[in-house]
Amino acid sequence: MQKILLQFLLLAGLFFGTWLLLRTVDYRSLLHVEEVTNEAEQKLSELILDQLKKEGSECKSDSVIALVDSMKQRLCIANGIVDSSITIHILVHDEVNAVALPDRQLVVYTGIINYCSSPEELAGVLAHEITHIRHGHIMNRLRREVGVSMLGALAGGDAGGDIARQTTRLLTSSAFDRQMESAADIGAVRMMAKAGMDPVHFADLLFRLSQEKGNISKRFEWISSHPNTQERCAEVLRLRKQESYTVKPILDKAQWEFLKKTVGGMREAGGQGAASNVRGSESGVRGSTSFFLPPVSRDGTV
Amino acid sequence: MSSGSFSYSPPEHEAERASNSYLMSLVVVMVGVPLPIVNVIGSGIYFLANRRSAYFVRWHCAQSLLAQLFTLPVNAAAVYWTLAIIFDRASFSNSYAAYVITAILFNLIEFIATMAAAIWTRRGRHVRWWFFGPLTDALVRG
Repeated sequence: MQKILLQFLLLAGLFFGTWLLLRTVDYRSLLHVEEVTNEAEQKLSELILDQLKKEGSECKSDSVIALVDSMKQRLCIANGIVDSSITIHILVHDEVNAVALPDRQLVVYTGIINYCSSPEELAGVLAHEITHIRHGHIMNRLRREVGVSMLGALAGGDAGGDIARQTTRLLTSSAFDRQMESAADIGAVRMMAKAGMDPVHFADLLFRLSQEKGNISKRFEWISSHPNTQERCAEVLRLRKQESYTVKPILDKAQWEFLKKTVGGMREAGGQGAASNVRGSESGVRGSTSFFLPPVSRDGTV
Repeated sequence: MSSGSFSYSPPEHEAERASNSYLMSLVVVMVGVPLPIVNVIGSGIYFLANRRSAYFVRWHCAQSLLAQLFTLPVNAAAVYWTLAIIFDRASFSNSYAAYVITAILFNLIEFIATMAAAIWTRRGRHVRWWFFGPLTDALVRG
């Protein structure tokens, strides 16, 4: 019996020994895993951006881009993220939405800039989306919901336009799973606090959006696709209490007013397509309003 | 792996049935790659069907089944890990690649050993694998 046990231990040792020995090889580099992944992400991102640009034009105003970019920069620098690794696109569209795309691209709709009542609220949205990017939620979700083979076909240009549209729709109109959303909220609160912003503004935005009861149209995509906003709002307020920070303003009043005014003008002047899109979708108001729960107070009590 | 003589000289039909126990695991290997349990079920059914057979047949059915039982957790872990990567519960890592190579290596050795055992047993020779041979001796009585 001892011989059998000894031989078993030797066999198991041989197995684990081989495994440990083979682990010393860097297969990720050998198989160019990073390069292939980055290339595929880049192509996917371009494809989705092209789809989005069919719904609304990309804002070309340098001053608007610079202002939103400065918020991203402040969040990134304070949180040890290479600022240039995340690219912001501003889409002229009435939809209250912001979307994180593969290849560290972030699309901010002019609708959400207009809806925010302070730069800190907008920074909260940016921090939330940046956390999705940081945690790799976008590709994780696409792989899970679209499938690895379909994503490969999309990146390789072999999939039809319909698949590309559906993938874009998936990213823009539905939320990540509860775990990912919760992680993004926690990340947003921490990022804001580290960057010297009061996370209460992010909770304020969630609170106001949750009050859009009876007005759940396509316009409020960002929030209508994010479930349990009231709970999230309360959670953000709870997390805020755990953080210590010294508040420093992001944009001064004039800069914020300039941003709102410029973006508002874009909606009126250039958002013809976008506006018609909103009107069209409002006729198809989402069937369920159960997403909007009873109001929550600022101290987090529902 | 070692081959030698058995306690008695097995007749032709016993050698054929003993050899088939190894062939059984080779036949189901195609299905068994994605679903490792199929290998064990195949060998298990063959073992049960021959549990009242001659000692030589039973001994080799048992050795074949025990070898399958050893590779089952190895292959199951590889399949589970692969599925976790596909469904994004894990990421492709060097540990995963090393594990899959190790599992393939062990499966390959087992495959070659099984083929050799099937051929030699068919010729009436008694094939004893390292570890599995003494274990079968302890479990199967004549």
